[in-house]
Amino acid sequence: MGTTASQLSKESLSEYQELTFLTKQEILLAHKRFTELLEKHEKQQIDARAPMGRITTLPELKSNPFKERICQVFSTSEQKDGSLTFEDFLDLLSAFSDSATLEIKSHYAFRIFDFDDDGTLDCADLEKLVNCLTGETNDAKLSSTEMKQLISNILEESDIDKDGTVNLSEFQHVISRSPDFVSSFKIVL
Amino acid sequence: DRIQAIRDLPMSFKEKKHISTKQTLKLWQGAMKSIGGKFGTSVLTYFVFLKWLLMFNIFSFLVNFGFVTIPLLVYKQTPNISQNVNNVPQNVTFRGLEILTGAGYFKYTVMYYGSYSNESLVGYNMQLAYFFTIAVYMVLCGISLIFMAVNFKDNYVLADSASNSAWQLLCTWDFSVTNEKAVKQRRNNLCVQLKESLSEMAQQERITVSEKLKHYGINFGCWLLSTSLAFGCAASIYYEAKTLLVPFVVSLINLVIPLFYSLFNKFEHYSNVFLKMSILSVLCYYWMSKVPAKGSGWESMVGQSLYRLVLFDFLFLMLGSFFGEFLSVIGTKLIPRMGVPEFDVARNVLELIYSQTLAIGIYFSPLLPAMQILKFFILFYLKKSQVSLTHNCQPPRRSGRAAQMQTIFIFLLFFPFFVGALSIVAYTAWLTPSKSCGPFRGLNNSFSAVDVWIGDLKNITGSQWVVEIYNNVIRSEIFYFLITLIIVIIYILWQVTNGRKELIRRLRQQIVN
Repeated sequence: MGTTASQLSKESLSEYQELTFLTKQEILLAHKRFTELLEKHEKQQIDARAPMGRITTLPELKSNPFKERICQVFSTSEQKDGSLTFEDFLDLLSAFSDSATLEIKSHYAFRIFDFDDDGTLDCADLEKLVNCLTGETNDAKLSSTEMKQLISNILEESDIDKDGTVNLSEFQHVISRSPDFVSSFKIVL
Repeated sequence: DRIQAIRDLPMSFKEKKHISTKQTLKLWQGAMKSIGGKFGTSVLTYFVFLKWLLMFNIFSFLVNFGFVTIPLLVYKQTPNISQNVNNVPQNVTFRGLEILTGAGYFKYTVMYYGSYSNESLVGYNMQLAYFFTIAVYMVLCGISLIFMAVNFKDNYVLADSASNSAWQLLCTWDFSVTNEKAVKQRRNNLCVQLKESLSEMAQQERITVSEKLKHYGINFGCWLLSTSLAFGCAASIYYEAKTLLVPFVVSLINLVIPLFYSLFNKFEHYSNVFLKMSILSVLCYYWMSKVPAKGSGWESMVGQSLYRLVLFDFLFLMLGSFFGEFLSVIGTKLIPRMGVPEFDVARNVLELIYSQTLAIGIYFSPLLPAMQILKFFILFYLKKSQVSLTHNCQPPRRSGRAAQMQTIFIFLLFFPFFVGALSIVAYTAWLTPSKSCGPFRGLNNSFSAVDVWIGDLKNITGSQWVVEIYNNVIRSEIFYFLITLIIVIIYILWQVTNGRKELIRRLRQQIVN
């Protein structure tokens, strides 16, 4: 027993509760799962980072087609390697929780779909998105003509200012018309 | 594991206990998580709804049992039993058949309305207790039904004509699916759907007028056929309502017709419910008009019929899921055109609503929630195995086209319940309860129990205000005026919302252009 840095203090617990959408039980559970991912010597550090490879072994993320993008988006590391600290991990769970608002979810969804991180969804991003969601086997892939047609349909539908890309507000406008986005954009431990 | 984490916290023991006990007993939590992980959020909402209905029935059973049944049992034990209480006659014993028919031995137990006494126990007025418990149950049921319907509508989109667009399909990837095979299937399905929507868009420019007319003609024909079927069934029920066969026939119809409809593949949802509604209303009418003439203890007869209905509904639900699964598995092998078996969430939710609506009969059979509890408990495991067995389970295709379908869905959720509630209200206000059994015997109508109570209250000085309110508000015309006012306000609000929707649509068009 004794107090080591691998345990949550009461102040940080209430601080996390205030700053995220998670409840106390969820934060505790997240802490437990996160410390399982760390190496033995890392468990003592306060700001230990779990690398992306280990985070994507979590059963909730393992089969998710966006697992690498999710880690990249929520990571605060300077090397941009997708590693997460515990606070990044809480951020992740908070954005994907039940009580997060539509704005938060659509904001993060936009960042996840923005594969080249340039702030807009252009044709390359959309193409990667479609491929990510449809599959890699040859018969499940869309042919290049179909892809072009699909992307132009998408742009026609959502690109309001006709600049050839979808920016955040256009994306949020599309999202607001699909009521099941909020319930689909959910990951619960 | 979790407990260990709590234990490691540097908090006082009392606070830790507070955290750990807050984790309330969550029934089926593991099962729900695995269902969500494999089949996605929309199927999960069905199971959440089922669990919620189960909790509600447990709660109402406890309330009923506590307030109504236990006093009666206590009363039966006390030594001074008067002749008003219907004891079990000597020659009626418990045979196993009762579970199926609900008649015979059960007639004399606390299961039905008939055996409740109308005497006042030690200060405990049975009539009032019965009346108010049922009234409170109805109100709670109505409110919670509204609440669930609104929630459900938000979580499970039924129709928005823009929802078939490819972009929407992409954006609403279900992140809570964690099973690898399920993810792979969803990706394949998405690919197929995208390809379909692409070809559909290409085709739509080519539909000619004559084809459209043909389309409408077929739709109209189907609709006509289904409504005539519904009327035919209702008429046959009316003429056959005397026999035991009624619940059997009703449930058989409920089972067979949906399968028949799904062949047509159109209007499935609201045809079904239209059928059920009409059957229920025919039954209600039959009971109200013909049965009181029959004689003593007719309320128990109605209670028995309801019991049989609930029981057969359950049996046929079970049969339906086995049969439907079996059929679709065979169907996919023989007729590939029929497609992969799906778990149609909307249809199953409607079935649940129908089952719960039958619980209106609680007035005639106070322990009906016990049956419901059993039914829903077993149904959970049944549906779970059904969902797992149709392992090519797709996310349900969005079949709804018209935007009106959403409002129709909400309407259909409430209409059976309100019809039932209204008929119960009509019953209490206007019909004379039977003279030889039940807690309201000897009164002109059930509502006069409240009258009597208010009369008694006049003698107690502290509660004059209740008498005042009762006399001036509920008895007089102001009551109807208030009701009309409330309805008018609701209508106005609804119109305002519609107007705003229209405004939003116009503004949106302006932005785009």
